Amino acid sequence: MTKKKVSTFFTYFFLIIGALIMIFPFYWMIASSFKTAAEYNSYPPVWIPSNWLNVSNFVEAFKAAPFARYFLNSVVVTVSCVILTSITTILGAFGFSRMRFPGREVIFGLLLSLMMVPFEMLVITNYQTVTKLGLVDTLPVLILPFSTSIFYTYILKNFFDSIPDSLYYSARIDGASNWKYLWRVMVPIAKPSLVTIILLDAIACWNSFMWTQLTIHVDKLRTLPMGLFVFMSDEGSNPQLQLAAATVCVLPMIILFLFARKYIVNGVARGGIKG
Amino acid sequence: MRVKIENLTKRFDDAVAVDNFNMTFEDGELVALLGPSGCGKSTTLNMLSGILPVTEGHIYFDEDDVTKVPPQNRGVGLVFQNYALYPHMTVLENISFPLEIKKVPKEERIKRATEMARLVQIDKYLDRKPKALSGGQQQRVAIARALVKQPRLLLLDEPLSNLDARLRLEMREEIRRIQQETGVTTIFVTHDQEEAMSISDKIVLMKDGHLQQVSDAQTLYDDPHNEFVASFLGNPPINKLYGYIKDGKFVLEDGSATVNIDNPNVKEGQTVVLGIRPEAIQLNQPQVDLTAVIKQRYTMGKEELAFVNVGNQTIRVYLSNDYEFAVGDSVNIKLRKKGSFLFDRETGARI
Amino acid sequence: MAAKNKSGTNDTIFNRKFEPLIYLIPFALGLVIFTLYPVVNVVIMSFKEGYRLSGAFTGWGIGNFTKVIGDKNFAVALKNTFIYVFTVVPVSTVLSVLIANLLNKKIKGIAFFHTAFFLPLVTSSIAVGLVFKYMFNKDIGIINTILTTFGAKPIDWLGAIAGTGPYNLAAVIIFGIWNIMPFTIILLLSGLQNIDPLYYTAAEVDGANSSTIFRRITVPLLMPTIFLTMIVNLISSFKVYNEVIPFWRGAAGVTGRNLYTMVYYIKEQFYANRQLGRAAAASIILFFIIFAFTMLQRWVQKKFDN
Repeated sequence: MTKKKVSTFFTYFFLIIGALIMIFPFYWMIASSFKTAAEYNSYPPVWIPSNWLNVSNFVEAFKAAPFARYFLNSVVVTVSCVILTSITTILGAFGFSRMRFPGREVIFGLLLSLMMVPFEMLVITNYQTVTKLGLVDTLPVLILPFSTSIFYTYILKNFFDSIPDSLYYSARIDGASNWKYLWRVMVPIAKPSLVTIILLDAIACWNSFMWTQLTIHVDKLRTLPMGLFVFMSDEGSNPQLQLAAATVCVLPMIILFLFARKYIVNGVARGGIKG
Repeated sequence: MRVKIENLTKRFDDAVAVDNFNMTFEDGELVALLGPSGCGKSTTLNMLSGILPVTEGHIYFDEDDVTKVPPQNRGVGLVFQNYALYPHMTVLENISFPLEIKKVPKEERIKRATEMARLVQIDKYLDRKPKALSGGQQQRVAIARALVKQPRLLLLDEPLSNLDARLRLEMREEIRRIQQETGVTTIFVTHDQEEAMSISDKIVLMKDGHLQQVSDAQTLYDDPHNEFVASFLGNPPINKLYGYIKDGKFVLEDGSATVNIDNPNVKEGQTVVLGIRPEAIQLNQPQVDLTAVIKQRYTMGKEELAFVNVGNQTIRVYLSNDYEFAVGDSVNIKLRKKGSFLFDRETGARI
Repeated sequence: MAAKNKSGTNDTIFNRKFEPLIYLIPFALGLVIFTLYPVVNVVIMSFKEGYRLSGAFTGWGIGNFTKVIGDKNFAVALKNTFIYVFTVVPVSTVLSVLIANLLNKKIKGIAFFHTAFFLPLVTSSIAVGLVFKYMFNKDIGIINTILTTFGAKPIDWLGAIAGTGPYNLAAVIIFGIWNIMPFTIILLLSGLQNIDPLYYTAAEVDGANSSTIFRRITVPLLMPTIFLTMIVNLISSFKVYNEVIPFWRGAAGVTGRNLYTMVYYIKEQFYANRQLGRAAAASIILFFIIFAFTMLQRWVQKKFDN
């Protein structure tokens, strides 16, 4: 019995230490963004800001750089990305799952092998393409290249495959078209999978950085991570201001995570299974 | 509605699933398509619904040739073995879905769906999702959904095979009742002879894509057209004695016994099978057709049966309570004419 | 699950031949333009010498590859990337196995622990990297504060100028491990949850203690998942880029280029130096390195399985 108690103690001990290490940067970021300059620069460091209602860092950061604009851009890009990706994914998964056409399996196998290619390898050509299309320094450049996903299509196709054929025939006999069947039957049934896909896509879009760095040079078109990056490269801004800006960048995703933890965690777990 | 099938044939890449099938289903009939798996009964059903294209032949609904008519325009209701209920819709939404597709106004939709739910006695659960229903209840919903658009033809694919034994009996009666109340021509597929015999007006027995026999259940049992029909129906199964014809008599294969048969159609030297239903075998009667030795006894429910050896072949007989039987005893066997059939060994055809 | 109709309704008359195309068009369009074409093009581009953004090039050959391989900056990038990968992947795997094992026990407050351990999944590396940058501060950073509390000497993690300090890469690696752990833990946890609890019961009945169970039951049964996470992490770690960016205002590799990583090198080659052919060649080299290690790991796993 005592042996068990000791092991229980160590379980919690290590878990709590680990959890604190994982969560501490977030606390530090948020706490620092409420500190005064004096508090921030003092040594030993101030663990808890004296005034949690001190929003002057946020006010100043928003004055120093158009973070409201960045925020709006991030929202527009993320929402557009998610909508476009959902549409291409739903239609594509339905096409692959429901339709029979020659070469279906071969094509799908080929697509899966394409998932191995890192996006970084495609960046060079994609940069040329968007330049030719005149998309550089427009918001669509952050949306269009990410409007299809082999991985999400693969996940959804697998889910669609698991829905019994008899539902399809039943609906068709009742006079439903493929289109109607897809939206009235398949999509509602696949809701859990779709929610996961949407969340993962939203997170990826929101945090996208390297591509933004390459294709957006105009200040008013920057997204939050990009705006933050430029802001922190600016010699003049103070750490507590930067951390306030970082909070603005991270907070929406933290809130999303708190609300949709299960969907996100399950999605990631499934994502790993595909290898 | 009358359904007529003419020279219906279905070929898949390498196999013929249904071969030159001719058949008429009369208006208001409840018909069972019966046969072992792979006999083409589901294929036939799917061709009737239109899910499966026809290779050759024609299907008529009354006077209309519907062979090339797409399923949604045929006016058929189809119930799948797994019911195929939409898991995200309530019972009411499931039943009214076909009407929604037809753009029936919402009020009428709900009215008709509710009526239908009442007919199948599921109206207590209109707001439930399929997951919250028992198998039998799901079955009722599926039937209601198939009937709500007032189909000319109701098709049921193995409607009872996903239910446990008790529910199966109950739903059997229900299908019969609903069919009689609506009067819709109904065809259902089953591999279960008992199911087919208990509720249908007519049984269509199939094997390997070929029609074997069409008749009511009793005729099918009492007057099988061939060896397959005789052996597919009946529990315990029919006994078979192999032999040949000599001097107009049946001679057991090893020549150890002879049975008088009163059949003018036999040919001298013909190899035949003598099919005898276990209940057509009477023991220790004054007249004797064969003698046999009791090999093993067993009970099935309240009945007592035995395997007995006739020559070197084994058959199954009911033991009557009038005598004491022991393993190793020799018994006299009399064959009743009703329940004894002679088949050609080569073709399986009844002689 | 997929109920294939036994009567082969595959050739159903619902499947018109042109209809699948309509559904696949949007997907195919994006795929061809932004994935398929770039894959083909990057291979072609890598053999074009003197290739410019305009499309003009001086000739065909393997010059891009030889120049990249001969470039000492590329050697730095290669070295840094390898050091990064071969510390981050093993360390994060070992730590994650231990934590996933603890998380798999019947513990209270599982929601809190899940939130804490998985939160970094959803956050931007740039933003959190910024936080780490200040936590790594030599004078008032919280990490050195904690170190000195325990009597250790403060460490100059970031150095005065990017890539000049001996601990620069260590800082990047620590951040990288922190960043990759949640993903690794989730995969391992789902692997653990697929292990039949009967094995544990059986071992307990046999009198095995918890450390024996962990070593003899858990780890061997988890091995396929561990291999899987290692492959996935290997691939993502070879592409390290975002983790280097925040500490030195994105200038990580430029001054002295001491902190170049492979992806950083590719990006600089094509974006700053406009050497598209070399960038393509370098990205193909990166791809083959990743490919080779993936194959190697699969081979090791096969050996292990036998």
